[in-house]
Amino acid sequence: MTLIARRLAGHLARGFVMILVVATISFFIVNNIPGDPMAARYEKLVEGGMAPEAARQAVKVLYGFQPDGSLWQQYTDFMAGLFRLDLGVSVTRPGTPVLDVLTDAAKWTVLPVLAGTLLSFLVGIILGVYAAVKRSGKLGDALSISGSLLHGVPQYVLALLVVMIFSTLLGVLPADGSVDILYEPGWNAGYLGSLVEHALLPVLTYALSAYGGWILAMKSSVVTVLGDDFILAAELRGMKRSIVFRYIARNAILPLFTMLALSLGLLLGGAVFIEKIFNYPGLGWLLIGAVTERDYALMGGAFLLITVGTILANIVADLFYTVIDPRVRSGEEVS
Amino acid sequence: MSNQAPGVRIDGLTVVYKTPAGELPAVRGVTLTLEPGSITGIVGESGSGKSTLALSLLNAVQPPGRIAGGSVEIDGLGDVVGLRGEELRKARGKHIGYVFQAAQNSLNPLKTVGKQLLDLGRSHGVDDLRGLVREAKELLGRMGLDGARVLDSHQHELSGGMRQRVGIMLALVLNAHLVVLDEPTTALDMITQANILRIVREVHAERGLTTLVITHDIGVVAEVADRLAVMYGGRLVEQGPTREVLGAPRHPYTRGLIQAIPRLTGDIDEARALPGRPPTLVTVPKEGCVFRERCELRMDVCDTVDPEPVADGPRLVACHAVNSASASTTVATKEHA
Repeated sequence: MTLIARRLAGHLARGFVMILVVATISFFIVNNIPGDPMAARYEKLVEGGMAPEAARQAVKVLYGFQPDGSLWQQYTDFMAGLFRLDLGVSVTRPGTPVLDVLTDAAKWTVLPVLAGTLLSFLVGIILGVYAAVKRSGKLGDALSISGSLLHGVPQYVLALLVVMIFSTLLGVLPADGSVDILYEPGWNAGYLGSLVEHALLPVLTYALSAYGGWILAMKSSVVTVLGDDFILAAELRGMKRSIVFRYIARNAILPLFTMLALSLGLLLGGAVFIEKIFNYPGLGWLLIGAVTERDYALMGGAFLLITVGTILANIVADLFYTVIDPRVRSGEEVS
Repeated sequence: MSNQAPGVRIDGLTVVYKTPAGELPAVRGVTLTLEPGSITGIVGESGSGKSTLALSLLNAVQPPGRIAGGSVEIDGLGDVVGLRGEELRKARGKHIGYVFQAAQNSLNPLKTVGKQLLDLGRSHGVDDLRGLVREAKELLGRMGLDGARVLDSHQHELSGGMRQRVGIMLALVLNAHLVVLDEPTTALDMITQANILRIVREVHAERGLTTLVITHDIGVVAEVADRLAVMYGGRLVEQGPTREVLGAPRHPYTRGLIQAIPRLTGDIDEARALPGRPPTLVTVPKEGCVFRERCELRMDVCDTVDPEPVADGPRLVACHAVNSASASTTVATKEHA
């Protein structure tokens, strides 16, 4: 246990430094994008007849900082704000803290992406085992080809195909927005049903676009394990098929957990294309809006969220390995 | 199955591998008897077919290979070549123990030895798992290991010599009386090699086993085996009591092998390497003697006719040159018999 605690402490310290570094980099990159919404608003107010001093004060009240303060001062303010979990105020939604905007969008991203990722992971690894075991037969070929094909098609093409098939041609599922505004939000069947109905196509698209990667990765992992000596040894010792199968599965799935943890970390970035196409108000959708509208604070916040998610996912993956892989646990080299 | 060492009769065994050039034999027409309670050693270079032969004893030749002909009769089991499915699975481990090469990782890296022992017990319907653990600890203790500690260890926590002893324990713990050891000492240091061989000899005697040792190391065979069989290009070229074969090798290949061993005393130059290289699955001659390319006794007949093993007392040699020279003695022996 002390080993895990020590690892965790080290990870958290490193993760903290990384977050600060990424926050700094994204702050300066975002601020170097041409166009300045704060100056634009300031000028608009002045043009509208407001005195320059009053306009400056108004902008300061609106966004929480001097529009003409030095970049360095803005940076120190931003970093100081981070420690209070204050990411500033959205430019395009005056008066709304970035953190609120992000958490509001996150709930539209986390569940669908989580569902899509887990669904594709489960289906992908199960079919990956079949693709590996039956790799010299037609079934294995078909599975591998399905994986390569779906892996190769870009997400936005998949999304459009899904929209075309299920919404345009069949007309069975909605492909626009997150819920019907007809329903009163709350725990009522109509509202929840509408939520699920709207989430189905985005989830399906996530799942389809991720499935190819899982099945191909699992297939190659299983093929590697099948060639390992201990599998033949288990068979020559007369182990039951079900036990040998468990040996194969557990060893083959191990490297895929890193991939799963990382893709769950990236989950907070949302699937930009998918959310855009389905007009789904998640983090990816938010990020596109923030970029096109030069919402510095929101962009910075969204980038930071993705960073934190990735770093946390890495930490979780590493700790998870200490639990499931005895070779990592004892800190020795894998033979 | 009885608690006695079984006899094994391999007859005309042929194993082929599917290659782009068709099905090629890795083992061809091998006939070999393992007497109950004996230790038989099979020596041969890499690619001579010795490991394929060993796997055939468990009907476990891996695809793209298959047993194309012949039989492997094991007392109490019958012909294992005909065994399929559950019957075959139950025979493995319970009746025939297989010990892997030490350098190979024959254990699941994610599970402790003890848990894999329990998996083994459950696979073979052992009701008394506590008894199985007790037996395993006893075996490990017998081989100089701390049983409780080893059962609680993962593979990566064990040294090569310890892994090999764990392999022997797993082969014997279900009370198998036929044990196949594939390169039991390869990749071990000299002292560990000596220890493992001593253990093999002692356990063989104590438990009343029939043992087959596969190796490329003549020293190993000299150390443990009662009987020795020499393999070359998928054929058994010579067999007989170990002392006799090593003391007076007859087949030119056996002679070459023994001459190639450097002695502790005497000039290092006395050791002469066999010229040429061993055949592979593809280059092994389709007809005639498999060894003729490297043979100093080569005759015309060797190019066309594959020499049959000819018995001379307890010894068998498959060589035209040797057998034509000793034809008269062979006939004499046969008349006496």
